[in-house]
Amino acid sequence: MAPLSSYYVFPEWLNMLTALLIGTGFGFALEQAGFSSSRKLAGMFYGYDTTVLKVFFTAAIVALIGSQFMSFFGLLNLNQVYVNEFYVTASIVGGVIMGAGFIMGGFCPGTGLCALSIGKIDAMVFIAGGFAGAFLFTESYPKIEELANANFRGPVKINEALGISPGLFTLILVAAAVALFWIAELAEKKFARPEITNEL
Amino acid sequence: MNIRKEISVLLLLLSLILALLPLSANRSFVAKPDRLLSEVINEGVSFTVDQVAEFIVREDPSVQLIDLRSPEDFRKQAVPGAVNIPYPEFINSDPDIWLGNRNIRNIFYSTGDLEPDYALVYARGLGYDNSFIMDGGITEWERTIMQTRFTGDRITARENALFETRRRAGEMFTELNSLPDSLKSKFLESRKFSAKKLDGGCE
Repeated sequence: MAPLSSYYVFPEWLNMLTALLIGTGFGFALEQAGFSSSRKLAGMFYGYDTTVLKVFFTAAIVALIGSQFMSFFGLLNLNQVYVNEFYVTASIVGGVIMGAGFIMGGFCPGTGLCALSIGKIDAMVFIAGGFAGAFLFTESYPKIEELANANFRGPVKINEALGISPGLFTLILVAAAVALFWIAELAEKKFARPEITNEL
Repeated sequence: MNIRKEISVLLLLLSLILALLPLSANRSFVAKPDRLLSEVINEGVSFTVDQVAEFIVREDPSVQLIDLRSPEDFRKQAVPGAVNIPYPEFINSDPDIWLGNRNIRNIFYSTGDLEPDYALVYARGLGYDNSFIMDGGITEWERTIMQTRFTGDRITARENALFETRRRAGEMFTELNSLPDSLKSKFLESRKFSAKKLDGGCE
């Protein structure tokens, strides 16, 4: 987790404690929503269970709306919030690898750790694979450095790239999310697999 | 209406309000870290106190000094023509207010180098290439401009010009800082006025 503030220097233990509390809360939410089951996550791919899409997209739009209201009322300075940097090539290549791993393993890194903590053996193998991938990436980095840094666009925000106001972008995204939720519910009916979903 | 539809409608309404609110177009860092680093350690982004003294003596309108210290420090001692934007305020507000005019070179200074350096990285990272710093801050100003003394037998024309600028800038500095607060802000205006009068006499 990033420092709590870039101006005031908080002690390192406070940053770590904050990270621990947020991480525990996140893990708890994932586990109680049933995300430590790889069948639930794979359901997103096959269309019989779209909980993953609904949960994560809802979290994203709630955070988006909340942070913009906080910014408007002067409680949060969005200029100081870290924006991930956009490496176009690396995002595409990495996205494909991650997506393949996601559907093969049935977890994403976060839910994999959740499942590991409740003792699932497939999650242990999944996490071991993740570490192996990280090791391979680090060892081969000098060879793929050019690819990893290609097409750097900086920490650009979508609304900046499109030249629209942050508020308008939020409205468009929320509308898209609601439409997607509706399609997802239709998909759940069309691709229903009661023999799997009843167990989850 | 079930709970999902209610939440969807609520989120849509809230985002509709956001779309209508005049949110500041938050800018994000445009520079890549290694490029930004080489840019801010480049000598081209800093002015020496002598260069700043010359701007002040010439009353260069394309330069704006920004004092990042606290208002108390600023009231006690300030470089003529500087505006006071305490660092926490600078970093917490929309930088476009201070740096928006691209024709003006903004020069940050503080007691030392730390806060101006932070401000420079912040401003240049956001794409304000019209941001600079004054090397050494007020400390260096005191040492070079205020305490300069010529010792030697002969003086070259170049040295003479340098010392003359230092002397005049030093005088302006002392004059400004010995004024009561209420008169300080009027000081620079009066300087401009008298300078114009002099110029007019020669034409």
